[in-house]
Amino acid sequence: MINSLTISPLFGILLTCGSYVLGVKIQEKLKHPLANPMILATVFCIAFLLIFDIPLENYRIGSSYVSLFLGPATASLALSIYRQYPVLKKNLLPVLAGTAVGSAVSMSSVLLLCKLFRLEEVWAQSLLSKSVTTAIAIEITAQQGGLPSITVAAVLITGLLGAVFAPLLIRLLRVQDPVAAGLAIGTASHALGTSKALQIGEVEAAMSSIAIGVAGLITVLFAMFVG
Amino acid sequence: MKLLSQLSIIVAVCLLGEGISALLPFAFPSSVIAMLLLLLLLILGAVKERHIDSVADFFLKNMSLFFIPSATGILEHFGLISKALLPFLLICVLTTLLTFASTAWTVTFVRKLQKGGHSHD
Repeated sequence: MINSLTISPLFGILLTCGSYVLGVKIQEKLKHPLANPMILATVFCIAFLLIFDIPLENYRIGSSYVSLFLGPATASLALSIYRQYPVLKKNLLPVLAGTAVGSAVSMSSVLLLCKLFRLEEVWAQSLLSKSVTTAIAIEITAQQGGLPSITVAAVLITGLLGAVFAPLLIRLLRVQDPVAAGLAIGTASHALGTSKALQIGEVEAAMSSIAIGVAGLITVLFAMFVG
Repeated sequence: MKLLSQLSIIVAVCLLGEGISALLPFAFPSSVIAMLLLLLLLILGAVKERHIDSVADFFLKNMSLFFIPSATGILEHFGLISKALLPFLLICVLTTLLTFASTAWTVTFVRKLQKGGHSHD
């Protein structure tokens, strides 16, 4: 009975959307960055599959329909870049220089550390894109031949680190320029970091959200020369 | 009807992105091509913000919904991760720190250069 129900595509769609709604509701109540809707939803999905002993393949029949919309969701990032376009044009050089250096440092430090820790090849392939927004990171991982689920976890951890520690880093590194602070937050920790930048200041928030798209794009370009 | 026409525009741009991606002599993610195409169309004014904003904002606001299937796939890799959990976390922390610092310093440096240049004007 359970198998015939979970084999329907509707099961995977329902479990994904239902878990997400539950995750969002819990975050609205708790209002803490660690009560992240995506973490909560993923934990619900995994728990549900394990408790009722449902094979991942059955879940994937339906959840692949949800993943299908990752493409249109990524394309929609164009709108958020477009809305920042005047600010981007005005600060073109610092934006390009900052995100290019930051992305290069992110990727080369991933490769270097993976070597240093003697990790299997798949780790470098999955972590290369860890600093950019998930939608683009997953695409890069697919091309590198890595595991998307590890990428998603790394991107999430990175974003949470940014969201929690950005104010501390700004103080410790003595970053006095709000443009520099904003670009650093967005390049290092994408959209989750940007949610923190919104609380720090208007310039920081604008710069951080510009860095999400630009750093994503630059990382895609750099990744073409890796592997 | 408005939502369907907005969705159609976005999906059409994505399909075009897949077409272009297939024609390119090198591998480049089709959804990123679609993002660039849509940005270009917005800048050129061929697509107006109001032609796509309701659906695009829904996607942007609920972006993480679309990552849940991939994230749930981690179920298959618990073994791999538990073997390398500490290095994995260390890499996340160190690279985030390095990326943050290098970006902040580069931007500060470039902006100082720019200001220096302007004062000589």
